[in-house]
Amino acid sequence: MSLNEKLKKYRLSESEYQLICDQLGREPQGVEWALYSALWSEHCSYKSSKVHLKKLFNKSEKVLQSFGENAGVIDLGQGERVAFKMESHNHPSFIEPYQGAATGVGGILRDIFTMGARPVALANYLCFGESKADRMETLVKGVVSGISGYGNCVGVPNITGQTEFHSSYNNNILVNAFALGLYRPGEKVFTAKASGPGNLVVYVGAKTGRDGVHGASMASESFDDNNDAKKPNVQIGDPFFEKLLIESCIEVMRDDLVVAIQDMGAAGLTSSSFEMASSGGVGFNIALDKVPLRDGQMMPEEILLSESQERMLLICEPKNLAKIEAVFAKWNLDATAIGEVTENKMIKLTWHNEVLCEIDPDHLVENAPLYNRPYNEWTSPNKVDALQMNECNDLQDSLLKQLSSEQGCARNWIYDQYDQRVGAQTISDCSGSVGMVRLPDSERALGVVLGCRPHVMRIDSQVGGYDSIAYPSLELAAKGFETIAVTDCLNFGNPEKPELMSEFVASVQAMSEQCEKLNAPIISGNVSLYNETNDNNITSTPATGLVGVRDTLTGPANAFQGEGDVVLLAQLKQASLSGMHSELNGGKEQFCGAVDAGEVAQFNQFIRELVTSNNVTSSRVVGKFGLAYALAKMTSVGVGCEVTTEKATGSNLTEKYFAEHLYQVVLTLPEKDWESLQSNSFPFELNAIGKTTAGQFKVDDQINLTAEQVSNAYSSWTTHFEKLS
Amino acid sequence: MKKIGVVRFLGTNCDRDIWQAVEAKGYEPQWLWYENEFESSDYDAVIIPGGFSYGDYLRCGAMASKTPVMKSVVEFANSGKPVLGICNGFQVLCEVGLLPGALVRNHSGQFIDKWVVLKVENSCSHWGENVETCRLPIAHGEGCYHISEHDYKNIKDAGQVWLTYEDNPNGSVADVAGVMNAGKNVAGLMPHPERALFEWMGGQDGFNFF
Repeated sequence: MSLNEKLKKYRLSESEYQLICDQLGREPQGVEWALYSALWSEHCSYKSSKVHLKKLFNKSEKVLQSFGENAGVIDLGQGERVAFKMESHNHPSFIEPYQGAATGVGGILRDIFTMGARPVALANYLCFGESKADRMETLVKGVVSGISGYGNCVGVPNITGQTEFHSSYNNNILVNAFALGLYRPGEKVFTAKASGPGNLVVYVGAKTGRDGVHGASMASESFDDNNDAKKPNVQIGDPFFEKLLIESCIEVMRDDLVVAIQDMGAAGLTSSSFEMASSGGVGFNIALDKVPLRDGQMMPEEILLSESQERMLLICEPKNLAKIEAVFAKWNLDATAIGEVTENKMIKLTWHNEVLCEIDPDHLVENAPLYNRPYNEWTSPNKVDALQMNECNDLQDSLLKQLSSEQGCARNWIYDQYDQRVGAQTISDCSGSVGMVRLPDSERALGVVLGCRPHVMRIDSQVGGYDSIAYPSLELAAKGFETIAVTDCLNFGNPEKPELMSEFVASVQAMSEQCEKLNAPIISGNVSLYNETNDNNITSTPATGLVGVRDTLTGPANAFQGEGDVVLLAQLKQASLSGMHSELNGGKEQFCGAVDAGEVAQFNQFIRELVTSNNVTSSRVVGKFGLAYALAKMTSVGVGCEVTTEKATGSNLTEKYFAEHLYQVVLTLPEKDWESLQSNSFPFELNAIGKTTAGQFKVDDQINLTAEQVSNAYSSWTTHFEKLS
Repeated sequence: MKKIGVVRFLGTNCDRDIWQAVEAKGYEPQWLWYENEFESSDYDAVIIPGGFSYGDYLRCGAMASKTPVMKSVVEFANSGKPVLGICNGFQVLCEVGLLPGALVRNHSGQFIDKWVVLKVENSCSHWGENVETCRLPIAHGEGCYHISEHDYKNIKDAGQVWLTYEDNPNGSVADVAGVMNAGKNVAGLMPHPERALFEWMGGQDGFNFF
């Protein structure tokens, strides 16, 4: 094979090849090619994004573990801590939706329990193309049943999610999975830092097969018309095995039999062993012939790169091996010592006593190439002095169109397929804006919200970046939660294109600034680049997962609760967007004003204090499609409202109803509570705009619908989903 | 204090939920591991929790029904002591022959998680004696209760139909959501009472089932 053919096969560039030769003082040989290919892939090395990720706001007094481990860990006080992270499985899910999505769930769960935390919540951020796009119905159905099939079986509740539909995802869907695990008081945090020369390297879980070989480097490449050929790169998952692995791994960690532990994720045994050795500053001797195989004909390179699921690597003292074997045997799993930790920082791989390679793990991990890809300072191309939205003639009709559209309709067809309550700690399921589980020792509520609104990103990457934090954080505040920390999953197109790298940098900087103002550090995450097919790139989509805590188990409802409450509108008044209404109706995508992250944080605190110190009966942050849509969603379970929009932002009714003003929150209070509260002075605008009523939904003299009409429109598109089943 | 045995198979995932419910009632829960048999006299009641025992491979509940612990559960039931199977536990009790009928794939072909309203057709003196109409969550892919017409007539006449759905979510015969054995000491239901113990869970109708 010529050098060029080799570089192509291993997906390495010529300059990277030079760097390897410099590191080794010679040309790479044998399995070294495969090692470099996997660990220097974009997916494993973050080579295009790391220079920017290093600048993220990632510290607070509550952070126990940040980047560099499988998941971040946050101290919630009262002895309780959580580990959480979000990860993409975009490329595999587009090639094989069921297994791609299922193994996405499996992988993120292993990132959590490898830290010693028991997984207690799952969430999913999904972006599909238009339903009429080629294969899209199959993809939607496959992804949803993959998540359902895996998550339900392992017994971790899916408590929230976000699903978007847009043509930019027609040839590259996004499947991002979030998982969170809980440490109860006294439970220990584990890491992947290997230590202790003479300690054993133990392989546990499923046997190694040929699935997923070269998966990491596949996920670091753009798509073309030959995706079917990539099917063998997709892994196959078994949730039953994962359940056993969760129980057995947690048991050996609780029994304190483990020095360090890491899951075998992307690039399998290669990444887990090299990363554990590199972060611990030690070496490993590994006998690849001892790796349990599903297929005895597998060769060392395939063993190293296999991404077979449900496998972990752990380090233990030799005296604990028998106890570890006994725990795994109890759960019907194997534990096999395949090597040992050595003092000198070298990884020696052998195959039937023949040395295949001996290499410094830092070459592949710490000293992987870093690229500062060209980008430009952000200039907002869609910024205008004032919005110019086409005025609607029939506002009621426009609202009904929004409610029944692909973008605006109910998503319960998806969520009803997920077990949202297993674990018996769910306070609020996917039907609410915030997923909540109970913290059983402190009797507090833990809230999870996913963020990033792609339609805002399409208008402006910087505003969209702020919004990816500000909007979900406000959703938490509207239910009384303080935002504690953030994870992200940065889905972008080809980073070698400066205009896309500019979007990456603008949005990530904005996210970081907003996190800093909220004192909510970004503690873990994942980057998925090259979401590109035949030169078409996805909407830049920096998905986020925010975690918050509330002192009480219950709080404001999502929908209006009874007639006679006062409907309040709180407004920040910064930027206004033409928003999803314009997108749906073919109008101009534009915004005016600017986001001030500091003021967003003050508004967030104002809303949270309003909710926690008053008897707020229901609340909702005004989001896509604007105020009328938000009020309609609060109506959809039977109690309506009668409001006027005099006090709402907007120079005409179309802007008042359908523009998206950053930020507005609708709240309801019993009348007597508002009477005593209204004389106070507030740091932000807070106005009564109407009352809740028995079942009728009225806005000014423009909209007059029954609650039933609203809910029929909202659920009408569900019939489209049902055809998929 | 009442001692309640809680059965755990490989793949059971509502075990700790049942533990929480049993403790909330002030009883003493104890694990019953699938590989071990047990003495009937050691327990006042046995609960088989939900989940995906053995990954639902072969058929829901089929592999679990062949485990050593189930041998003891059958003896325990035959001695007249109370046994409750929830969701996958209900499937196991049907597979092992303690309850009539079988549970097959939902008519929609999909897993369904939602709250449902149930009617108590015949009360069960051991589990949820004072419950009438109640609202509980379901979460299952194979919760469609199947029984022959002839056998259905028999269990209906014998008062063995325990619970029915107000709005049938899965295609069950005659809306059946839960049944009892002839002796009415063994009961099984698809909904999850342990997920509706307190108001913060969204409802507390499940509390009286334990």
